Amino acid sequence: MIDLNWLKAQFPALSGLTRLGRGGQKEVFTANHQEDGEVVLKVFHVGADRERALREVRVSLDLVDARIPDTYEVGTADSPTGEVLWVRERLIRGQNLRGVLAHGPLSGDQVIRAAMDLLDVLAAAEQLSIVHRDVKPDNVIAAEDGSFWLIDFGLARHLDLASITATGLPFGVGTPGYAPPEQFRNRKPEIDGRADLFGLGVTLYESIEGANPFRANARDNLEILRRTETTALPSITRAIVRGGGFADLIQAMTRTRPSHRPESVAYAREWLESILDER
Amino acid sequence: MELALQFGWGMMGHTRSLLREWGSGTVILSPRDLSDDQLRRFSKDVRKLNGELLVDPQFYLPHSHHHRLVAHEYWPDDYDSVVFWSGSELEALLTRLHDLNRDLDTKATLLPGLHGSSVSSDWLIQQQAILEGAERVGIPPEDSFATVALSDTALLSDANVEDLLEGSRDWSPHGVYLICEHPQGDYLVDNPTWLANQLDLIAGWRLRGKQVVVGYSNHQNLLAAAAGATAIASGTWMNVRSFPPDKFRVQYEEEIRRRTTWYYAPAALSEFKIPYLDIAARQSLLADLKPDHPFPQSHTAPLFSGAQPSATGFSERDAFRHYLQCLRIQSEAATDLSFDRTLDGLQSTLDNAERVLDGLHAVGVSGQGRDFGDCIGPCRAAIGVLKTTRGPVLRREWRNLTT
Repeated sequence: MIDLNWLKAQFPALSGLTRLGRGGQKEVFTANHQEDGEVVLKVFHVGADRERALREVRVSLDLVDARIPDTYEVGTADSPTGEVLWVRERLIRGQNLRGVLAHGPLSGDQVIRAAMDLLDVLAAAEQLSIVHRDVKPDNVIAAEDGSFWLIDFGLARHLDLASITATGLPFGVGTPGYAPPEQFRNRKPEIDGRADLFGLGVTLYESIEGANPFRANARDNLEILRRTETTALPSITRAIVRGGGFADLIQAMTRTRPSHRPESVAYAREWLESILDER
Repeated sequence: MELALQFGWGMMGHTRSLLREWGSGTVILSPRDLSDDQLRRFSKDVRKLNGELLVDPQFYLPHSHHHRLVAHEYWPDDYDSVVFWSGSELEALLTRLHDLNRDLDTKATLLPGLHGSSVSSDWLIQQQAILEGAERVGIPPEDSFATVALSDTALLSDANVEDLLEGSRDWSPHGVYLICEHPQGDYLVDNPTWLANQLDLIAGWRLRGKQVVVGYSNHQNLLAAAAGATAIASGTWMNVRSFPPDKFRVQYEEEIRRRTTWYYAPAALSEFKIPYLDIAARQSLLADLKPDHPFPQSHTAPLFSGAQPSATGFSERDAFRHYLQCLRIQSEAATDLSFDRTLDGLQSTLDNAERVLDGLHAVGVSGQGRDFGDCIGPCRAAIGVLKTTRGPVLRREWRNLTT
């Protein structure tokens, strides 16, 4: 765990440094910056996968103007245990979608807003051949102003760059219950923006119905993977938009086989726009 | 969905007659059944009749060594070596095919495609080599169709179908000419997986904006309308209405030798030997087999005139022309204004066929190997899978696919 006093000494421009969380790759803090206001400071562990961390940083720098937090500054620092990579980015005031859903499903308007905002981000990523590969409620911020933001590109893959995940591994990266079969089966040539459509489709389904049927009461991860590979999500029980268009879109996004999903994120976004136009 | 004429043995006269009657139409020429000289002369006839042409290079089973095929100028002397697929021989084949297509003034070039016993990476590489070679020799992708010829085993494998759809994402040709072997050499297919996977392939390519022509079809491929197929192609004998696995080819040729006359009842989606029409008449069920409006009566009127059907002289020629006339009308009617209406129409056609066949079977009237009874359930199942897996996208894109 990073020593807060050491951290304060490294970042004199930051005040009110508070630990927000700690994951396998990094620790995250919130603070106030003299010029940029409220910020998040991510400090990667000394032993963190440096290449993966740099890719995450690169993605956030490439994806300007999308609904992902702006990256203000990147650097390295010599910690008592070795050199660490750090990233300072904008703090999005709000709550993680997982936390929001703990209090109940989203309203219809919120679902539509989430769908639009997140499709916007993923379409921007798709244009740059970037796949997030971990779209799930935990990686979505429901901001106080009603917008939705996608965070944590730690598993993102740039399709034009060599893969970091070993090709021969039986299982790929991702979160069971949100990653589509081609991703957890590590079938790399099939992984593109359609994999993120699957994760987003499940996230939206969960936001509407309050539960993820792939995960609900599953015995273990293998059970979740089996369900994801062999069953389709049940039909949505709430009418989000008049007519069946929105339910159709979610159904198409969450098909098991990538060739059965919308051809691209851009296509899915266009589809959503036309559903909303016809309201 | 259009009906194209799949040229086969003895089809010249039928083609001329049907084109004259229709005023237009597409003919897929078969070098296996036409010499180079006949190909050129006949294509002129077709164009005179306002017909359009495609040439199937029939390279899917190059080892079949059919004497007329290998005599064609485009056919290579040696295609056994692996080098063929990466060397100048492939380009020479494509250049000669390009020249032939230009000479015959075809509306598009059907590129050669090797029969895939499974969708392996090697097979996909060969397909890709053909498509890239075609571009190199100047065949414009917007005027070409990739030929995909699949074994029954490949089409029965969900994984193979997915691999093919994924592996063809970057294919440049404007369309796909799809040829699928029937399981066990059956004329009609009663395997719902085979049917569902064929629909999946068609829909997958159509949704990418490719035209899809399903070759070697019989009336069972009216189902292809549900997937938005551009056209199906059919002909006279069984060997151009289904693509037989090689080991069943002889059995198909045998059908030509026997020359049995079959009457196609569009309402029953089944064909019957004429003596069975006699029985249907004696059981007062012949009217169920009559081709009502909008189907033409020109070839079949004597069968329903009150005389004993087998005594009316209903000929092989009448049978073929009647079949293709009906199939053309059914093909065109199969595509409706929306995806759901198209499915409803097909369901209703199946329901009606079931009703008619139930009545006929009850008195022993059967189409034998051409009876659709065992295929109705599998067809419904295949449509159901298409609706579940691709319904939302097809519903949304239907207008773009069908206009």
